[in-house]
Amino acid sequence: MSAGTIAAAVLTLAIFSFLYKENPFFRFAEHLLVGLSAGYFVVTGVQGILLPKVWEPLKSGDWLIVIPGALIIMILGRLTEKTRPLSRIPLALIVGAGAGLAIPAMLQARVLGQIKATIKPLDSISSVLILAGVIATLIYFFFSREHKGWWGKLATVGTWYLMIFFGATFGNTVMSRVSLLIGRLEFLLGDVLGLIK
Amino acid sequence: MKFSSRGVVFVGVFLSVAFPLLFPLHLPDKISPETERFKSLIDSLPSDAVVMISFDHEASTVAEVRPLAIALIRHLFSRNLRIIGLALFAEGTAIGNQVLTSIAKEYQKEYGRDWVFLGFRPQYQSTIIGMGENIQNVFPRDYRRRSTAELPLMAEVSNYSKIALVVSVADGDYAGYWVEYAHSRFGVPTAGLVTAVMMTAYLPYLNSGQLAGLVNGLKGAAEYERLLGRPDAAVRGMDAQSLAHLLIFALIVVGNIAYWWKRKR
Repeated sequence: MSAGTIAAAVLTLAIFSFLYKENPFFRFAEHLLVGLSAGYFVVTGVQGILLPKVWEPLKSGDWLIVIPGALIIMILGRLTEKTRPLSRIPLALIVGAGAGLAIPAMLQARVLGQIKATIKPLDSISSVLILAGVIATLIYFFFSREHKGWWGKLATVGTWYLMIFFGATFGNTVMSRVSLLIGRLEFLLGDVLGLIK
Repeated sequence: MKFSSRGVVFVGVFLSVAFPLLFPLHLPDKISPETERFKSLIDSLPSDAVVMISFDHEASTVAEVRPLAIALIRHLFSRNLRIIGLALFAEGTAIGNQVLTSIAKEYQKEYGRDWVFLGFRPQYQSTIIGMGENIQNVFPRDYRRRSTAELPLMAEVSNYSKIALVVSVADGDYAGYWVEYAHSRFGVPTAGLVTAVMMTAYLPYLNSGQLAGLVNGLKGAAEYERLLGRPDAAVRGMDAQSLAHLLIFALIVVGNIAYWWKRKR
């Protein structure tokens, strides 16, 4: 058995020990995960981004890279009180560009694309159910009119749709978490103990 | 030692998962229309087409997404389709590279010609949109630090116009970002192999046709393995999944009856 397998098995058991109660083994494994993730991100960032996208263009005489390079350094200004205002310029650029890119893309995919899919011939039960669900749920989230009378009844139908959605999401969440447990037990019983053929 | 009711639930779930792993029950399992549709989508791609796989997940969900990725890569290589891999999550980088490398070896596929792994880029918006203009500008070097300009596969593929399908292997919102920035903007067909917890969030995209295909977690991976005729880790885990679900269902029913009984008294 390799050292990696033994380390993974010990750390898995350390994390599982939390099911009994909080303990130093669990905390050690938890902090190790946070540290390793941060370290891995830094190494990946330096190797995959700083070297090919900043250092190599600079070496080959592409001086335009100095502008984004300066913005990177300005972000690091957050580290001291005196230089903190400098970091606002690149952050403003990131937020501005991000919002500019995100708003039309989200409108297109999440709103227009979905409305287009909702407005279609009512030639099947599912089409009718989808349209009814969209209208009833939108009514539930319309707060400028009191949910009373026929309006209130439609809003109640909207809550049924929401409850079905929450139930389906919870069921899928259970399935997802059980899958993770299956992965760990397959590792412990199979790779470590050799009990699974 | 006094055992709490929480402890009983933990032991019950542990046994319901461990027992079928050790002693398979071969419970029946139905293949969902979503997985069948995804397989048909891959089967409909022309031979030699290029598929982009983005490993948009963390290490914590590897148990669920790895079988999905393995089934997909086996399917693509068995059809002689070519693969460009990348990651929009730093933790997905090493996992994606490891899975691609091992399956490529299994099918004797040559790096640079049949498949390429570009590595990781942060800031998904600029990465996805940038590749729509020019992939080599976004990834001047691949994960192995080779110049992408010198890789035969990348010489053919400059942007999404030569990509037949983008598949995001995701445990979060990233498959949606591919829809928003790659499909909506550049028209490239996009599909998602996602963790079960994300399935309900993505189904509307599938129904509206914005996602060309969607496979749901470990269950979807098991169905995919069955459709490919290569049962593997996901199929092995399905008995455990079914038994654990039965137990949780029973616990919910018993818990509700107990609650109702207590209120009545």
